[in-house]
Formats: sequence, C-alpha cells, structure tokens
Amino acid sequence: MNALVKLSAFEAALAEALPEGDLRAELSARGLPHRRVEDWKWSDLRTALARFDPASPALTLTASRSPDRTAEPEHGERLMARLAGALGQGEVYELAPGERLSLDIRAEAGAGHKVIEVIVPDGAEAALHETYQAAPGALANIALVIRVGAGARLTRLIEQDASPDGVIVLTGELELAQGARAHQTTLGFGARLARLETRVRHAGGGAHLTLDGACHVGAGLHLDQTTIVRHEGPDGITRELFKSAAAPGGRAVFQGKIHVERPAQKTDAQMNHRALLLGEGAEIDAKPELEIYADDVVCAHGNALGALDAAALFYMRQRGLDDARARALLTESFLMEPLDAVADEAERERLKARLRASLGAVS
Amino acid sequence: MLEIKNLHARVNPEEGADLAILKGVDLTVPAGEVHAVMGPNGCGKSTLSYVLAGHEGYETTDGAIRFEGEDIGELEPEERAARGLFLSFQYPVEIPGVPTLTFLKEAANAQRRARGEAEISAPDFMKLARENAAKLGISNDMLKRPVNVGFSGGEKKRMEIFQALMLAPRFLILDETDSGLDIDALKVVAEGVNALRNPERGMLVITHYQRLLDHLKPDVVHVMAGGRIVESGGPELAHKLEAEGYDKYAGEAA
Ligand SMILES: Nc1ncnc2c1ncn2[C@@H]1O[C@H](COP(=O)(O)OP(=O)(O)O)[C@@H](O)[C@H]1O
Ligand SMILES: [Mg+2]
Repeated sequence: MNALVKLSAFEAALAEALPEGDLRAELSARGLPHRRVEDWKWSDLRTALARFDPASPALTLTASRSPDRTAEPEHGERLMARLAGALGQGEVYELAPGERLSLDIRAEAGAGHKVIEVIVPDGAEAALHETYQAAPGALANIALVIRVGAGARLTRLIEQDASPDGVIVLTGELELAQGARAHQTTLGFGARLARLETRVRHAGGGAHLTLDGACHVGAGLHLDQTTIVRHEGPDGITRELFKSAAAPGGRAVFQGKIHVERPAQKTDAQMNHRALLLGEGAEIDAKPELEIYADDVVCAHGNALGALDAAALFYMRQRGLDDARARALLTESFLMEPLDAVADEAERERLKARLRASLGAVS
Repeated sequence: MLEIKNLHARVNPEEGADLAILKGVDLTVPAGEVHAVMGPNGCGKSTLSYVLAGHEGYETTDGAIRFEGEDIGELEPEERAARGLFLSFQYPVEIPGVPTLTFLKEAANAQRRARGEAEISAPDFMKLARENAAKLGISNDMLKRPVNVGFSGGEKKRMEIFQALMLAPRFLILDETDSGLDIDALKVVAEGVNALRNPERGMLVITHYQRLLDHLKPDVVHVMAGGRIVESGGPELAHKLEAEGYDKYAGEAA
C-alpha cells in the first residue's frame, strides 16, 4: 500500500513497533482514525494523539484476581482493537457463577495497549466492573471481548474517569448467545479524547440487552459513546438509554446503530439519546441509526437536544439556591435516569455520588 | 419595609422583544401590613412580581426597589431570597427529578448560609415539614414527589404556601395564589398565609378576586393599570372593583 497520508510522529512510531504485515501496511497507509473516516467523524483520534509519544508505555491493570490465561485472546476486526492485539498483552478471564470481576485500567505514560477476554459461562450470572483513566500525554487502548453464554447474565459497569490531556480508546465487543442477558451502564466524564465503543452481536436469539449511559463532559474534554448492535438471531430485545450533558468547552458524541438482519424476526429494539447543553460553547453530536432487513420487528429511536429550563432555574434561585447549584441540581436530575436503573443499590448510590461530585465541580 | 419608587421595566431586549411593561410603579408596604394589588389581565402584575424577585428576563430602566432600606435592584434572585423575599408563583414550575423536601431543605440552608446562620438539621427540618404539611392538608405522598410534578393547579398553589411556611420569609409576594383553588382549599391556604402574618412581615397579594382578600383582610388595596398604580384605598376598594370592574381605568393603559 502506498502512503495516502503523512503520518504523525506518533503514528510513525506505532507503525515502527508493529511487525511487518497487513496491519503495519494499513496503519502506514491510512494513519489512525480521523474525522474523514465516517464513524470517527466527530472524534479525531489522529489529531488528539498527534503530539503524543508512544515510547516507554506504562499501563497498569489492577484486577480483582489474576487472569486464567495470558494467551493471545481474540480482539475483533476494528483497527484499534487489532493494534491493541498486536502491541499489547492479552488476558483471559473465565468468570465463575456469581463472580464480580473488577478491572481498573490506568495509562500512566506512553501508548499502552491491552486485550482482555471475559467469558461468562452458559447459565452463569456475573458482574464486570471496569474503570478507565489516562494521565496527561498517555493513551490507553483497550480491546475487550466479552462472551455471554447461553442463558447467562452479565451486569457490566464502565466508569471512565475525567482524564484531561489523556486519550482512552475502548473497543468492547459483546457476544450474546441464545437467551443471554446483558445490562451495561456507563458513567463517563471525558478525556482529551475518550472513545467508548460497544459492539454487540445478538448471535443467538432471544437475548436481552440493555445499554445505558450517562456522561457529564466538562470544559476541554471529549467523550464519544458509540454503540453498534447487531441482531442476527430472532426474538432479541435491545434497550438503549443514553443521557449526555456537556459544559461550555466540552463535547459529547453519541453514535448509535441498530442493525437487524433478515433472520432476526420479532426483534424489539429501542434506542434513546437525550442531550443537554449546559451553556454556550458546549457541543453534542448525535447520530442514531436503524438498519433493518427483517420485516416483522418493532424498532424505534429517539434523539433530543435541549438546554436547562430557564423558568426552573429562576424558580430555584428565587428559593435561595445560587445559579451554579440550581444548574447542578437540574443537570443531576436530567442525568440520573440511566444510573437509577443500576440494580445494585450500593453501586447505584456510589455512581450517583460521583456524578454529583462532578456536577458540583464543573458547571 | 418594601419601597418601590417610580419603577420602570421592560422585557429584556435580549429576549427578542423591546416592550415596556412597568411604567412608573410607586408602592410602599410597611412591615406588618398586607397590601393587595388588583388589576386587569396584562396590566403588569406578574411582571412586577418577577422584577421584585430579580428575574433576568426583565430590565429595570428607571426607578428603585428598596427592601428594609437597602437598594436590592441589582441583587441576584438568590440574594433577594436570602434577604427574605419570597414569591409564590402564578404558575409554579415543575422540576422533574428533584424531590420537594430535598429541594426545600437545600434552599433553606442556602439562605441560612447566605445570612451567616447555622444550617437546619435534618430531623428539625422533617419535624417542621410534618407540622406545616398538616396545617395545609398536604399528604406525605405529596411531599415525596418532585417539585410541583403531577400536581393540579390548586395543589401547586398549596405547595407554594407550604414552601413559604418552610422558608419563613420576611416578605411574601403572592401572585394569584387564589386562582385554581376551590372554596375549601382557598380557606386552608388563606389560613396558612394568615398564620404567617406578624408585625415584622409584609405581604403583597396580587389577585383578581376579592374572595381571597375577604380572608386576608388587607390593610391597603392598590389598583394597577397600564403598568402603574392608579388608585389606592382601603379594603372597600376591592369590593368596589368586584362590582364595577376595571373599565374606568381603561384609559390608564395608554
Ligand atoms: N417575557 C415577555 N415577553 C413578551 N411580553 C411579555 C413578557 N412578559 C410579560 N409580557 C407582556 O407584558 C404584559 C404584562 O404581563 P403580566 O405582567 O404577566 O400581566 P398580568 O400578570 O397583570 O396579567 C402582557 O401584555 C404580557 O403579554
Ligand atoms: Mg399575572
């Protein structure tokens, strides 16, 4: 392949580290995803990383237990996931019934890559709790493949800590076997650029997926939540509820796609995104899409963008709350809905407290 | 206690319209007194209440508002609230997701902090809430709901007075608190308001009807028309207006 783009020093160094082969050729020719790549149009990873130095990476993974294997796990087809596979270590966790696995991932310096595979055996019920953070100038590039077995249940919680000047790319691939249930909740605060991608395959039929997310993106931060749900088997259910709030100078992105293939009859899918601009100079971009090839399905999506209710703000201030506090309370009530759906009470309250703290700090 | 001098205000030009609404309001309410403001629809009564409370949607172009000797015309709404100004809204705003008691406790403590007073404890607050709710026939269930969400017009007005009892302001502005209330509810609300009457507290009661005034027994009744106070008198003026309407003031609107 001929070089189509002039590589940044970061991209050149990444390519340099790769073994000869397709991936290296592809990266050398196209560079990292950027705004002219359709599904990265609002998240220019190339530009965000252009001045980073991938050398001397320090990526720490603190897990609640050691992995079952450190063999090379699968990582899917996406470029960033393949890079994670080629440049990072792999770990496999086979969850025991009732297990709660926590993975705390922090990029401290350089470009850190990791591939993780989590397996929820047939019929088991388990929970996965991930936390992501990147220090200034550091990249965390994580590929996570999660297999939820037939009739198994997974509760997944993703916390993305505010990481000014850090970059986080999480490529999550969930595979739902026949009758599996998965409930994923994300609480995110953004980074120089954070891309939290969730790709789900309803591989077997009759699976039930809930994808929820709340984010509060402060000044100078960017959070991209991209979900691609593919119904392949029949009778699947998908429910998505994402709420985004961006402060002036902050940017939130939601891209949601639900793809229903021809055999996926009786699919019932709903996707909702609600966005709140917290002032002038806040930006929220959203693109919900349905692509349906089966004829007997119920699919709907909604997308709404608004600002804080001025009448409510005045009312609250008339009662004595200052402007910042009134805004924080209204924003909190707007964002709580996805968190209210977290079943575990202690987790739910902890997440809400985190959100509250963030709203108190940035308006 | 509250002195309004030659107050002129217009819709903030940033809101799109350049519309003068208050055209020289003069009004003084001494401590301990209840004054009524009556006037036809659209004469500027609600605008007066908003301007007194510091609403950003209106701009004061002339005149002054003094509260207990202090010029409060430039203060933020919350600063006026902390000084003891309370507005019972003509249309109370719904705030989904914010429970009434959480909101009120936070408001009470924000006011106390601004005044340099100690915060109210949760048990004391709850006790006060139960007492005040009982006075107004407000159920526990109503208190648990988000602010004004799912309430009828009359219930919202009742909740406004509940908030007034909880915050114990120094001065109350009631903007058509009687509208939407049936006779029994009106009596309950009027009793709540009367319970707040004392020699240190003033009230401005905006209304169309004399039936609320029959309960509240105002010291002075003012007639507002065309953005000004055009006549003031005793309680008998309210009865006269009820009988004769506002037609004779129509010329004032020019
Ligand atoms: N924000 C606003 N924008 C445009 N017109 C307004 C606004 N607020 C009030 N007005 C107008 O000013 C006049 C007085 O309104 P208001 O104070 O609500 O009257 P009242 O309460 O006496 O019925 C009305 O004609 C109303 O339409
Ligand atoms: Mg009015």
